[in-house]
Amino acid sequence: MAGLFEADIENRGLVLDPRTKLFVMITLAVFALGGAGGDTAAVRCGTTAVSVLPLILLLTAGKFGKAAVFGISYALIKYAEIFLVPDLTGAALSVIGLLCLIFVRLMPGLIMGAYMLSSTTVSEFIAAMSRMHVPQQITIPMSVMFRFFPTVLEEFSSVGTAMKMRDIRIGGKNAGKFIEYRLVPLMVCSVNIGSELSAAALTRGLGAKVRRTNICRIGFHFQDIAVIIPTAMLYLLWILGMIGVVK
Amino acid sequence: MTDAAVLKSVSFRYANGDAGALDHLDLTIKRGECVLLCGRSGCGKTTATRLLNGLIPHYYEGELEGSVTFFGRSVGDTAIEDLAGIVGSVFQNPRSQFFCVDTTAEIAFGCENMSLPESEIRRRVDKAAADIKIRDLLNRSIFDLSGGEKQKIACAGVAAMLPELIVLDEPTSNLDPDAITGLRDIIGRWKAQGKTIVIAEHRLGWLSGICGRVLFMEDGRISKEFTGDEFFSLDTGKLNEMGLRALRTSNNYLESRSGLARIKAFDGSDSITLEGFVYSYGKQKALDIPMLELPEGAVIAVIGHNGAGKSTFTKCLCGLQKRFKGRVTIGGRSYRPKEMIRLSYMVMQDVNHQLFAETVTEEVMLGAADAEERKATDILEKLNILEYRDRHPMSLSGGQKQRVAIASALLAGKKILVFDEPTSGLDYRSMERTAELLRTLDADVTVLIVTHDMELIDRCCTHILHIEEGKI
Repeated sequence: MAGLFEADIENRGLVLDPRTKLFVMITLAVFALGGAGGDTAAVRCGTTAVSVLPLILLLTAGKFGKAAVFGISYALIKYAEIFLVPDLTGAALSVIGLLCLIFVRLMPGLIMGAYMLSSTTVSEFIAAMSRMHVPQQITIPMSVMFRFFPTVLEEFSSVGTAMKMRDIRIGGKNAGKFIEYRLVPLMVCSVNIGSELSAAALTRGLGAKVRRTNICRIGFHFQDIAVIIPTAMLYLLWILGMIGVVK
Repeated sequence: MTDAAVLKSVSFRYANGDAGALDHLDLTIKRGECVLLCGRSGCGKTTATRLLNGLIPHYYEGELEGSVTFFGRSVGDTAIEDLAGIVGSVFQNPRSQFFCVDTTAEIAFGCENMSLPESEIRRRVDKAAADIKIRDLLNRSIFDLSGGEKQKIACAGVAAMLPELIVLDEPTSNLDPDAITGLRDIIGRWKAQGKTIVIAEHRLGWLSGICGRVLFMEDGRISKEFTGDEFFSLDTGKLNEMGLRALRTSNNYLESRSGLARIKAFDGSDSITLEGFVYSYGKQKALDIPMLELPEGAVIAVIGHNGAGKSTFTKCLCGLQKRFKGRVTIGGRSYRPKEMIRLSYMVMQDVNHQLFAETVTEEVMLGAADAEERKATDILEKLNILEYRDRHPMSLSGGQKQRVAIASALLAGKKILVFDEPTSGLDYRSMERTAELLRTLDADVTVLIVTHDMELIDRCCTHILHIEEGKI
C-alpha cells in the first residue's frame, strides 16, 4: 500500500519541507497545466525547465524505476508535440494532437504529485498544514482520512477473499447485487472500526481545547531554497513578460 | 489519600440496547491497586471499564445513575479530554486503536493533544519506548506490525501520557501466547511504578501473580470478591461453573513435537493428501511441506508460534494463495488450487467480512440452486439458527453469525472448513458451544482450526498439526 503519505522514513534521500513541495505543485499547476504566460517565450522555456524538477526529485528519493517511466514517457510526448504534430493532418491531428496537448500539460503535475505522496508522511503533512495556519477543524479530519485509507483497503481485500470463497462473481447468480454484496460487509466493518477508533482517540485527549503540539520537525533548509528560487523565477518571468521586459 | 476511583450505586443502560447494563454497582479502587474484573460475556465488565475511562457518559449514550469520581473529581463535571492525562486506556482490537500511520507519531499522539512542549514529548516517547523495550519499532509504519507489536505501541502511547490509572479492556483477545507474555511484563512494570491498573479479561491465566484483587461480576454487579492468591488457586471445575475460562490447561500442545499427531480416538480411515505445499514470499520461504496426509473428517487444530506459516498453510489449502502450485487429493481425485476454492471455506476471525445478504435464508441460499431450500432449512435447524432465518445476519450475535457462515459453507457442499481463531474473546460457555458445534459437524467435512486456545483444542480436536518455521 505504498502511496498515500506513507513515506519510508529511513530511506528517502533529500528531505524537503512539505510546503516547498506544495509550492512546486501549485507552480506546475499554474504554468504547465494552466498555461499561464504562454505567450512569452522565456516563460515557456522556464516551464519546461521546472517540469523536469519533479523527475530530479524522484531520482534523489531513489525512485529510479518510477523516474525512468515518467521521464521516458514525458520525453516521448514532448518530442511528439514538437516534431510529429506539426506534420499531421485530419483525424490523426485531432486525436494525437489532443492527447499530446493534454499529457504535456498534465504530466509534470502528476509526477510531482507522485513524488509528494511517496516522500511525505502524514505527520509532516499535518505539521505543514498547521504551520500554514490551517485550522484544526480541517487538519484533524484530514489526518483521520489518511489513517483510514489503508484500513479500508485491508477490509476491501478481506471482503474480496470472502466473496471468492462463496463464488460471488460478476455474472454469477446474483449479478445484480454484486455491488451491494461487496459494499455491505465493507461498510459494517469500517463503521465498527471507526467507532472503536473514535473511542480510543477520545481517551487520548483528541479534541481538547488547547492547541495541539506536533513533534514532527519540518522547516526550510538549503535544499528547499535551491528548489524554491528557480521555481519562483517563473513568476518573475511571467510578470516581466506582462510588462514587456522579456519576450 | 483519596481513592483512585469510587463508583457508588451506579446503574447504566445503553441507549441502543447493547448487553452489559450495570445494576447498582459499587466499586472502590485504591491507588496503586491492580484489579481484575471477570465474568461471563455481557456481565458488565466492559461497561465498568468504560465508566472508568470516561467513555460513559461522554461517548456511549445511555441512562446513568449513581456517582462516579476519580481522584476526588466527579466524572460528569470533567470533560473527557481532561481525563486523558489521568486515565489511560488499552483496548481489545489492536487494529482500531491507533490513530497515526507511523509508530513514533502514534506514541506521541496523546502527548501532542495535551499540548506539551516538543522537547518534553520527545523525552517521554523515548522513555516509554525504552521502558517497554520497543525502541526498534520506532519510526515504522504501523500497518507492517504484528498484532502483538501494535498492542505494545498502544501501551507505550498510554504510558507516555503518564496516567495515574490505566484501564485495559480484554487486551489479549487478539494476541498469541508470546505477545501475552510481553504484555504481562509491561503491566508488571507499571505496577512497580505504582500505577493503578484495572483489567477486564476472559483469558485469566496470564494475570496470575499480577492482580492482587479479583472481582467476579454477574448481571451488572459484583457478586464475588477474591484476593489474587485465592482466585488463582481455584481449580478449573470451579471456574467453569462460574462461566470462566480455565487458568491453565494440562496440555500445552505448543511444547509437543511439530507434525501431525492424534490426540483423541478417531475412526475414519480415508485421508486427504497434500502435495507440494511449498511457498515463498520473495526470497523468504514461508511454507515447506512436500507431502502430508490429513485424516478425512477429523477436527484438526493447526498450531504454531506467530509467523510459523499457519495462515500461509490454510490459505494455500483453500486455494486463496496466489502463485501457489500444490495439489490436494480427496477421494482419489486430485485438485488444483483454483478448484480448491470450491471445496473449502474459511471462517474468518472477523466474520462480518463474509455476510452479504439481507436475511439469513438469503445468505445461506446465495450461490445454491433454489431447489435446495429444503436442505437449507435442515442445516439451519441443525445449527440452531432456524428461528433467525428472516433476520438480517448483521443483527445477530457473534456466535450466531459464525453459525450462519458455517451453514452457507455446508450448503455449498464444502468439504474442508478452516476456522481462524474462532474463540478469540469468547467466554467459557460460548467457547463450549463452539466446541460442541465443531465436534458434531458431518463426518465427511474436515475441519481445521487455527488457534492458540488449548482449552478449545482439548474439547473438540481429534488431531493437532504443529507447524514451525513453515515445516512439520
